[in-house]
Amino acid sequence: MSAAIPNAALDARGVMWLLGAMLFVVAPHLARMPEWVGAFFVLMVAWRGWVAWRARHFPMRWVVFLLTVAAAAGTFLQYGRLFGRDAGTTLLILMAAMKLVEMRTSREVLLAIHLGFVLVMTNFLYSQTIPMGIYMLACVWIFVATLVGYQRGMGRPATVAERLVPAGKLLAQALPLMVVLFVLFPRVTGPLWALPQDARAGLSGLSDTMTPGNISKLIQSEATAFRVEFDGDIPAYQWLYFRGPVLWAFDGRSWRMSEFSPAAALEYPKAERPVKYAMTVEPHGKHWLFALDVPGTLPPGVSARHDLQLRSVRPVDARLRYEMTSYLDYRFGEKLPAGFREFALRFNTWQNPRTIALGRQWAAENPDPRRVIGRALQYFNSQFTYTLEPPLLESDDPYDEFLFDKKRGFCEHYAGSFALLMRAAGIPSRIVTGYQGGEINPLNRELIVRQADAHAWVEVWLEGEGWVRVDPTSAVSPNRIDSGINAALGPIGVIPSLIAADRLGILSNLRFAWDALNSQWNQWVLGYNIDRQRQFLTRLGIDALDWMTLALWLAGVSFAVAGLVSLWLVARDLPRRDPPAVRAWKRYGEKLARAGLARAPHEGPLDYLARVRAARPDLGPEAVAITERYVQARYGTGLTAPEARELAQRVRDFRPA
Amino acid sequence: MLANLRQSIADWIFRARFPETSPVTLVQRRIFILPSKEGYVFALVLLVLLVASINYALSLGFILTFLLAAMGSVAMLHTWRNLAHLRIRPGRGDSVFAGDTAHFAVVIESPVRERFAVGLRRRDEEPVFADIAEREATTVGIAVKAGRRGRLKCGRVEIYTRYPVGLFHAWSYFDFGQGVIVYPRPDPSAGPPPSRSVSESGEGVPIPGEDDFHHLREYRQGDPLRHVAWKALARGDQLLTKEFHATASGELWLDWNDARAADPEARLSFLAHWVIECERIGLRYGLRIPGVSVPPDRGESHRARCLEALALHGEGAPR
Repeated sequence: MSAAIPNAALDARGVMWLLGAMLFVVAPHLARMPEWVGAFFVLMVAWRGWVAWRARHFPMRWVVFLLTVAAAAGTFLQYGRLFGRDAGTTLLILMAAMKLVEMRTSREVLLAIHLGFVLVMTNFLYSQTIPMGIYMLACVWIFVATLVGYQRGMGRPATVAERLVPAGKLLAQALPLMVVLFVLFPRVTGPLWALPQDARAGLSGLSDTMTPGNISKLIQSEATAFRVEFDGDIPAYQWLYFRGPVLWAFDGRSWRMSEFSPAAALEYPKAERPVKYAMTVEPHGKHWLFALDVPGTLPPGVSARHDLQLRSVRPVDARLRYEMTSYLDYRFGEKLPAGFREFALRFNTWQNPRTIALGRQWAAENPDPRRVIGRALQYFNSQFTYTLEPPLLESDDPYDEFLFDKKRGFCEHYAGSFALLMRAAGIPSRIVTGYQGGEINPLNRELIVRQADAHAWVEVWLEGEGWVRVDPTSAVSPNRIDSGINAALGPIGVIPSLIAADRLGILSNLRFAWDALNSQWNQWVLGYNIDRQRQFLTRLGIDALDWMTLALWLAGVSFAVAGLVSLWLVARDLPRRDPPAVRAWKRYGEKLARAGLARAPHEGPLDYLARVRAARPDLGPEAVAITERYVQARYGTGLTAPEARELAQRVRDFRPA
Repeated sequence: MLANLRQSIADWIFRARFPETSPVTLVQRRIFILPSKEGYVFALVLLVLLVASINYALSLGFILTFLLAAMGSVAMLHTWRNLAHLRIRPGRGDSVFAGDTAHFAVVIESPVRERFAVGLRRRDEEPVFADIAEREATTVGIAVKAGRRGRLKCGRVEIYTRYPVGLFHAWSYFDFGQGVIVYPRPDPSAGPPPSRSVSESGEGVPIPGEDDFHHLREYRQGDPLRHVAWKALARGDQLLTKEFHATASGELWLDWNDARAADPEARLSFLAHWVIECERIGLRYGLRIPGVSVPPDRGESHRARCLEALALHGEGAPR
């Protein structure tokens, strides 16, 4: 062990491979990190490459030390800390760069490759899409190829094929065991320890503000928001409005949750069609909880605000389960205190002037608020497109820009502009965010609601009716409400002109196929958590409810699969079995050898026969028969199956001693 | 530490086995395999990756971790396979002078597949690596510094590999009892062989003279080996050549008592030098040391016999 591979291991080509692999794995990070991080990394890699290629001197130790300190200091200045997702990844990238610069021995090279594997992992903190998965697989391949190159090139530098081919074989042969481990390795619920604050960026779910664009970001996340087990039938899709944060305050662009919000008792003048269900909410780090409109009971430790938003005393940092009863047919908030009414009508008159003018115009034309609402929905229905990739609204009058220019948007655009129109028309309104729809798991009749189901709608207050839900998105895309987000959007990110050009439908079919593939990926790869594991194993007939049973299965199946792979590999090395005639001939020779008549290595069958007949005339006839058959098998026409059997039998019966 | 542990285990397992008869086939029970130090670091990295995957619920993280773990276990098999079924037999080992490097040749053959980066090393020494061709004898020389004259044993050799990824160290040992003779280091300060030691027969008394120079050139054409010696001599001490050429046809006894040196080892070095010089020039020479007397003769094998006698002086009879 002490004999580290000397200089040969640090041949320039090996170093170049490592540097290339490192660039490859860090490349996706470069766009995410501050520019100086990328510049520093690329510079260090180039430096190391130059040192290796031109056989220059290594940088002085103190230079490396200073650069390392500078890199750490830069990270701290950038993020204010050294841990957490962004800061940690940045630090890791910079330290990898320094490791590359200072590595001099093969052991350090191997360490750098190990760092590379960790860097692969950091990419998954940001993206787990199919292309990213393939890209990172390529990275792993190059890293393993670099490893192979170091071992292979003990005598001379290995060629590209000598690196890539064995590495590819290794990974290919590792696949079966990988699948077994992935399927059977016991999953746990929730993290092992508290995650850094930014760990769930982009996955956190709803927030307490709504700006055009922030829910459509969520929609790309297939992460589960919560699960619902209904006590009885699952209500139809259009009833599945899960109420979350209610937003009152409007600043011209964003809608916010109001700070002041007294608690209220859940009392309704009308409350029918009760639904009983249990919610299992994934941790999202905030205080609010979700319930079907409208909640009828309060779980322990939870209060309801006057706008029916449920608040937990503690933030939801771990998975939370609670039982609820809701009423689908209800009436509430018939009396609106003046203060709330004023609050629900407030907006800045100097922003979004065209929107406000339109709202006022409708109000002037229609004295009945219901007509105004109908007019607005009709307006949305006529000209607007529901899309996941809405154009950015960059002006100071974002809702003007949306309503009159872009006309393409997502639920928050519709809800936000609708609420503003209502306020302009003198109808008190507020935004309700939450989730709508979900996916029914046919196995256990559970409703899975994902971040992709995040939604925003509007509640308007009508005299005599109280707060009434209006979902302007349904006017634009009824499918969104009736069948869920996927039905509404179809293939995500469609470029209209391409669709128009795609007369044969190839492109759209491809997109649907890609969408379906993504859906499977989300469901079976990314979404393979403790619940799905159980479902899957139950379907396979494995009742692995506790992790001990699961661990036993894991060990058993792993050994079986690894054993099969090993057998396949080892069996190829075993000497091939001789054909039957040769085996019989060898046995014949062995028997004669025991009788003192061993065949000399140079002796042909006929010479041998002559010698045997001379020495042991009594064996003559049998020896002739056996030798003839053997000669026929090896040098003649070959043997038929009965002849081969006959030969074997003759040799068995042959008794020279 | 690990290496020491491995050595002790090997010492214990092989305690009664060596030296063994050639050829040796590395069958399954002869091959040991353990993770290398890098392998343990790799396991640690896997643990870190696993914890990160669990903590951040990264499905692709799990895939990465498990892929690497599976790759590691497959690599173990490949490392083992890289050594399995190799056939090893000893090759020729040439005698050397003390202080030079002896090469123990080992011939390795792979019955299936080409093998890569197979290392051979003696205990605590630098390894030598070779790729082993399929069904073809590959000769690998293990270089050993010959410290002192006598018999140099190659001893137990570790044959090992870490191919393909260096996470595992598969190894085995063999010891064919291979040995080479290490001649005493010739000592040029011995000067020319003393003229007194010229054979008692009386003929061939050295006659210094320039005429003999042409005469010697004929010798060079007769014997190619000597031809080489000539060249070296031509680059060396001119005076020596002249004096000795004159006695080219003489017969010389190199005697223990004429090598006037402080201790027996130095005497042997003097005598070795004389043997080489005599052979180079083409004299017939004999060697007389306590216990051994080699009658005058010349030629490669005679020279080897003389040097061997010097090398083994004081040791047991050659086996």
